[in-house]
Amino acid sequence: MTGNEGQPGGRLLRGVHRTLTGLHPALESVLAAVVGLLVGAVLMYIWGYDPWRAYWALLRGAYGGSYEIASSIARGVPLVLTGLTFAICLRGGMFNIGAEGQMYVGAAAAVCVAYFKLPPGLHVVAGVLLAAVAGAVWSLGPALLKLTRGVHEVISTIMFNWIGRFLVFYLVAYVLVDARQGQRTVQIPLSARFPVLVRGTDLSYSVFLAVAFALFVYVLLWHTATGYEVRAAGLTPTAARYGGISIKRTMLLSFILGGVAAGLAGAATVMGLPPTYAIISGLPQLMNLGFDGMAVAMVGRNHPIGILVAALFFGGLNAGGRVMQFYGSNPVPLEMVRVVMGAIVLAMAIPELARVFPALAASGRALVGMLSRKRPVEEAA
Amino acid sequence: MSESTNRSGAEGNGYFLRAERITKIYSDGTVAVRDATLELRPGEIVGLLGENGAGKTTLTKILSGLLPPTRGRVVSPRGRVRFSSPREALEFGIGMVHQHFALVGTFTAVENVALSQERPLAPLQLAETRAKLEALMGESGLRVPLDVPVEKLAVGEQQRVEILKVLSRDVDLLILDEPTSVLTPLEVDELFRLLRRLKGEGKAIVLITHKLKEVGSITDRVVVLRKGAVVGDVRTADVTKEELAQLMVGKALETRAGRAVELSTEEVPAHAPAKREGGGRGQGVLHVEGLSVAGDAKPIAVDDLTFDVYGGEIFGIAGVEGNGQTELVEALTGLRPALKGRATIHGQNILGLDPRQIYKLGVAHIPEDRWVLGLVLPFTLAENAILGVHRWDQFRGPLSVLRWGRINAHVRELMERFEIQATGPGAPAKSLSGGNQQKLIVGRELAKDPAIVIASQPTRGLDVGAAQYIRDTLVEMRDRGRAILLVSADLDEVLALSDRVAVMYEGKFMAVARPEELDREKVGMLMGGVSVGGRG
Repeated sequence: MTGNEGQPGGRLLRGVHRTLTGLHPALESVLAAVVGLLVGAVLMYIWGYDPWRAYWALLRGAYGGSYEIASSIARGVPLVLTGLTFAICLRGGMFNIGAEGQMYVGAAAAVCVAYFKLPPGLHVVAGVLLAAVAGAVWSLGPALLKLTRGVHEVISTIMFNWIGRFLVFYLVAYVLVDARQGQRTVQIPLSARFPVLVRGTDLSYSVFLAVAFALFVYVLLWHTATGYEVRAAGLTPTAARYGGISIKRTMLLSFILGGVAAGLAGAATVMGLPPTYAIISGLPQLMNLGFDGMAVAMVGRNHPIGILVAALFFGGLNAGGRVMQFYGSNPVPLEMVRVVMGAIVLAMAIPELARVFPALAASGRALVGMLSRKRPVEEAA
Repeated sequence: MSESTNRSGAEGNGYFLRAERITKIYSDGTVAVRDATLELRPGEIVGLLGENGAGKTTLTKILSGLLPPTRGRVVSPRGRVRFSSPREALEFGIGMVHQHFALVGTFTAVENVALSQERPLAPLQLAETRAKLEALMGESGLRVPLDVPVEKLAVGEQQRVEILKVLSRDVDLLILDEPTSVLTPLEVDELFRLLRRLKGEGKAIVLITHKLKEVGSITDRVVVLRKGAVVGDVRTADVTKEELAQLMVGKALETRAGRAVELSTEEVPAHAPAKREGGGRGQGVLHVEGLSVAGDAKPIAVDDLTFDVYGGEIFGIAGVEGNGQTELVEALTGLRPALKGRATIHGQNILGLDPRQIYKLGVAHIPEDRWVLGLVLPFTLAENAILGVHRWDQFRGPLSVLRWGRINAHVRELMERFEIQATGPGAPAKSLSGGNQQKLIVGRELAKDPAIVIASQPTRGLDVGAAQYIRDTLVEMRDRGRAILLVSADLDEVLALSDRVAVMYEGKFMAVARPEELDREKVGMLMGGVSVGGRG
């Protein structure tokens, strides 16, 4: 082998390549998004809506101007974090669908900052930490059940989602309730809110929390020995054990880290999304953020950078969908956006989809080859 | 008795199935079976004998419809038969009991058998199956609990469920692949009693085995395969264990029919043991005493082993696979707990430590299965090159940050030194050829500068060049005073490389000797579980 390590350009390219490792099947994600949008269009058409106008409204509502873009990003912030929950655990070899419950508990913990006073900056940090710890604690249940008793994480995280949901219902109704406004919890004081980043929009400084955590996860997984162990254990547990890696340790770590991310999603929502700064009873502003995060992670190929992009897309769907339902004489209900999301997730879940096209192309080529082949050859064969 | 039968039954009366000049070439070019002819008759137990990779399983898979032959044909008195699936073979009357049972663990015996009756979308005929099984158990004397989930049954009982499953389809030919490897001696006796009874009922039985003792005690005829070719087809009564051992491991032998059997094929160049007269051996590195280890399916896989491996020597363990070698290596490398005994490296205990602690004591482990243990296939070359050493200071900076620059430099060094053909450190390991993957593992392990290298089947599946390269590397390590524990099913390799050879059979060493004290015949006997009295 000839060493060509002397070329700085080559080194840079290799660095870029490594950064993009794991992003490779991005095209598959784009394909899934297109399929999802097409399915949505067909459904809209069947129900008598005009898909072009609706999508135009959605696009404008999502990315049509700085206000819209800011709004889409704001909606993407919690999705980045819950997406990371799913992605970290998947990289570690587990299917953690507990982001929803961990995010509820994190949000409830963040609201607790209303009960004490701290200087502005510190107060935000305290809320973030409380939420992170609460999310992590909530993830410990399924993690310990798996490690000590072998309970499958899919079952236990679903259970913990329900427990978390009703626990937070209870807390909102009886413990954290605002005495003057019974339909919501006490409000997070000004000193503990993420300041609004773009005036007049709901985009707050919480976006930096999400981006920073995504970068942290990227560095951890791809540039530290600890993250290396998590990925090795997730890909080939037998080889990881041979390599002296404790699988239990990597599983526990990815679960806790995922819990932290989900907790932060809760904090980012209640501390960083105007105007309520409280949990409303029934948790409308939190509902489904954890599950949507799974879709974001899948479309983002479980890579932190991919998740940032995918969250922007899903945030746009959410923000644009709200515009779509007020647009024109025959507005499309918001639920259609969820149909599109569902179709995208389904399309992602069919990995054969991307493989179908090369296969089709190959058989097409074979067919063309067969037809254009000259007769003598055919007879010889 | 009557004269031997290389092509017996030529008159054609009453054979059940005949495989004629079967050749099987796998898509990767491996010739698993070459030009093999085999005839099976009702009321006869045929032993199919051979080393690992001799083609026994492939040949029987062809007979039972799992694989199509590349050349040759299978005929019955009714004409040529062609099976496109095991189901067709079963309908024809051929049933195979595989080494790994195909049972649903949480189902009972009745349910498992009912499930195998292949009536899609029809309700399970549980009552019918139960009646049939009870009748079958009555005639065959083969008893199993019918209403217990099979995962709760002993391995021997599970095997009986498998046999019942096949018998319930009224087969005429029963093929058993290494049926005794998971059984206790008592269960083996029971199995053999059953096989004799089935033989009495006129069934043809094929028993795949590598155990010479079993061949002698149960079979009527032995067919010996070596490197895919039938090198002997003789009546058991007319042949000695010594002759069978010779046939199996490949030494010229005149068969009774007078046909000379080819000599052993390519030999490993014996350049390796520049056997230094005694003086080469250094101090003790690995000491094992009274070590017993459980297997996945058997309670004792390694049985009270005691041995030492010294610096500057290659200690080879020969034997047919599945005789405890894997469990021994796993116990010594922290992958499997030991039942009892001691094992130390330079006097320091290694049992109960995790692999990373054991590596720190100077152990390098070239694992038997490079895809399951040795490599994380989706990882890059660079990522794989630090597996197990990823926490060493040279690759890790503050905060556990991996120093990819240094790691890549290290990988390029490995690529150069071990002649690993790859596009670069960023190439995924799965894109490498088997030989280059193995070189990567060997390189990674030897770069640890270990005191002892535990190498398990290090050249399996490699082309001649890569295999030789790896053998040379091991010899070089030995010459530099390192201890090498070499486990290999390749007898030539073990004999050529080792300074001392142990032959392992059913968890014990049948003998430990210098290779020059062992001839192939003797090793063949030992591998087949026949102890060789005194010196030969």
